[in-house]
Amino acid sequence: MRLLLIEDDPMIGAAVQRGLRQEGYALDWVRDGSAGLLALTTPAAGGEAPYDLLLLDLGLPGKDGLTVLGELRAAGNPLPVLVLTARDAVAERIRGLDAGADDYLVKPFDLDELAARVRALLRRRAGRPEPVVRQAGIVVDAASHAVSVDGEPVKLSAREFALLQALLEQPGKPLSRAQLEERLYGWGEEVESNAVEVHIHGLRRKLGTERIRNVRGVGWFVPREA
Amino acid sequence: MKRPADSPGTGAAATGTAATPRRGWMSLRRQLLLSLLGAVLGVFLLGSLATYQLTRSELDEIMDYHLRQLALSLRAPMYGPQQEPGLGPDDQLFDMVIQVWDEQGLRLYLSRPHTALPDRAQLGYATVPTAEGDWRTYSIVLGTRVIQVAQPMSHRNRLAAAAALRTLTPLLVILPLLAGLIWYLVGRGLRPLERLARAVGTRRPDSLAPLAAAGVPDEAQPLVHALNGLLGRLDQAMSAQRAFVADAAHELRTPLAALQLQLQLTERAVTEDERRSALADLRLGLQRATRVVQQLLTLARQAPDAETSSGLADAADTDLAELAALVIAEMQPLAEAKSMDLGADRLDPATAPGNREALRTLLGNLVDNAIRYTPAGGRIDVSVWQDDTHAWLEVADNGPGVPPAERERVLDRFYRRAGQDQPGSGLGLAIVKAIADRHHARLVLDAAPAGGLRVRVALPRTAWRDVVAAEDTSGNKPPPQP
Repeated sequence: MRLLLIEDDPMIGAAVQRGLRQEGYALDWVRDGSAGLLALTTPAAGGEAPYDLLLLDLGLPGKDGLTVLGELRAAGNPLPVLVLTARDAVAERIRGLDAGADDYLVKPFDLDELAARVRALLRRRAGRPEPVVRQAGIVVDAASHAVSVDGEPVKLSAREFALLQALLEQPGKPLSRAQLEERLYGWGEEVESNAVEVHIHGLRRKLGTERIRNVRGVGWFVPREA
Repeated sequence: MKRPADSPGTGAAATGTAATPRRGWMSLRRQLLLSLLGAVLGVFLLGSLATYQLTRSELDEIMDYHLRQLALSLRAPMYGPQQEPGLGPDDQLFDMVIQVWDEQGLRLYLSRPHTALPDRAQLGYATVPTAEGDWRTYSIVLGTRVIQVAQPMSHRNRLAAAAALRTLTPLLVILPLLAGLIWYLVGRGLRPLERLARAVGTRRPDSLAPLAAAGVPDEAQPLVHALNGLLGRLDQAMSAQRAFVADAAHELRTPLAALQLQLQLTERAVTEDERRSALADLRLGLQRATRVVQQLLTLARQAPDAETSSGLADAADTDLAELAALVIAEMQPLAEAKSMDLGADRLDPATAPGNREALRTLLGNLVDNAIRYTPAGGRIDVSVWQDDTHAWLEVADNGPGVPPAERERVLDRFYRRAGQDQPGSGLGLAIVKAIADRHHARLVLDAAPAGGLRVRVALPRTAWRDVVAAEDTSGNKPPPQP
């Protein structure tokens, strides 16, 4: 899952970036609205939408947050947007939600609550309202990061977990290495050239080799349940 | 004097019943009542006294007339030389004594025995002192007889006094009626004032709407106008305060949000390195929050909010060159931390009236601003000089400067320029502006020769009275000569 954060305060931005990366998300952080819009309209590898979710601060220098949101929606972009702001008055909340935001969090906010709301929005986007994912004998609880295979609990690293989640998004559909890298790493994060293979190997070891299939020259996928 | 209720604004409890002032000697009602009733009483007393005296003398005359009538009516010589007095059937004669002498002085008649009257007569009216008190006599020569009619003064006085008092009785009845009427009328006259007092007393503390001037007597109009003026000013000041507090609360959210996140990251940290790094971030976050709060307090202390012509409480002539040297020395460590060159370009002697601490904060904030927003290794120059009308403070840096379009906005509270990496509260220049305003000084922002921002403060050297007078008439501050 790749997220974009548009936030001008250096401390809040750094903390949110670190906190959400710890949850296994790839997160890019820009400081103003114009840079944000640019990032949102630049397609990712494979022509996909670059981001799965936008975290938007309203009090931005230059282009205001609501303006960014307005332009996004006017262009028909259905990206889920979670607004983060210090403006807490009811009238302001209504304004933000009516402008196209999907959720509204007031500063100061709890990091865990932010993570939970992000998960909720991502679930809805994937059309999968149930928080626990079951597929081919694998059970994944996104909130607690608990994973079990055929009833046996399995411990995964943060990267492995993120990788598994990415693969379970669309079972049966292979994802290339580039696509997986996009989902796992934000700008400025160091990526070793074979990092993806290493993590795939780790996952196969823990889940069972047949649970992650490889299509030569295309990518990897988790097979759908029959 | 009772103290008003201590807890403010608890809705219905804080009504006019909290403190009714005791009616002291200053009470208008008491003064009016006392003076009016006193005047009425005095006039009544005088009137009563005069009436009494008049009535008495009238009665005296009547009684004298009576004596004379009686004497005249006794001229008929119906008695012969006898020593035994005869008793008259008329009761009225009982307290009078009639004596009749012939031309030789021989008493022919005495109406009452054992009288203390002397056995002789003074012709006409006389008051004769006797062992029984004074007697009023009237003696007349009628033919060959001398007739004297006498009446004891004590009795006369008693009769006269009783009659005189009776004439006073209606007045005595009227007096309490009058007093009651006065009481009522004074009360009614003062009722508009009481209404006014109640209207003010039942005001909620947050209601600063003006008092109704309708239905208020002319004498109280100036008071109502003055009160409304005060309420208006209070309203303004409170609105400004509220706006400030709302702004401040809003602005504090950002540093606190950062602290919240940084704390949670610290809690989540697993390795020692992670923990150390998270704690370092937390410390920076706390420093920032502390700084914002300190700046807010400084700003709150500076802002007069409503009238700026009130000026500073204690404004003394301040040696600006010495102050600048002090501030430069204080800020050295901060400058050195960024390898910056902070020094004085020109420190001419200059003095201006002002509050030393406030001016120190002003200069300090200007230098701090320059240090913060100029890249490391930069240079900051502080200058002080004066001309005929103003003392000048200047801080110039060779940083990126501020474009002309933003120079106004940069003085606003909480305004921060786009793309700022440096942590800051956005309040530094707002504080500078607030202090400059209080000193009736003018702020000039332009480009430094070295390319960065140059801020100049022109402090008037003349008495502030003149500056304020010039401000008030023209609406603008008089421009200082650059």
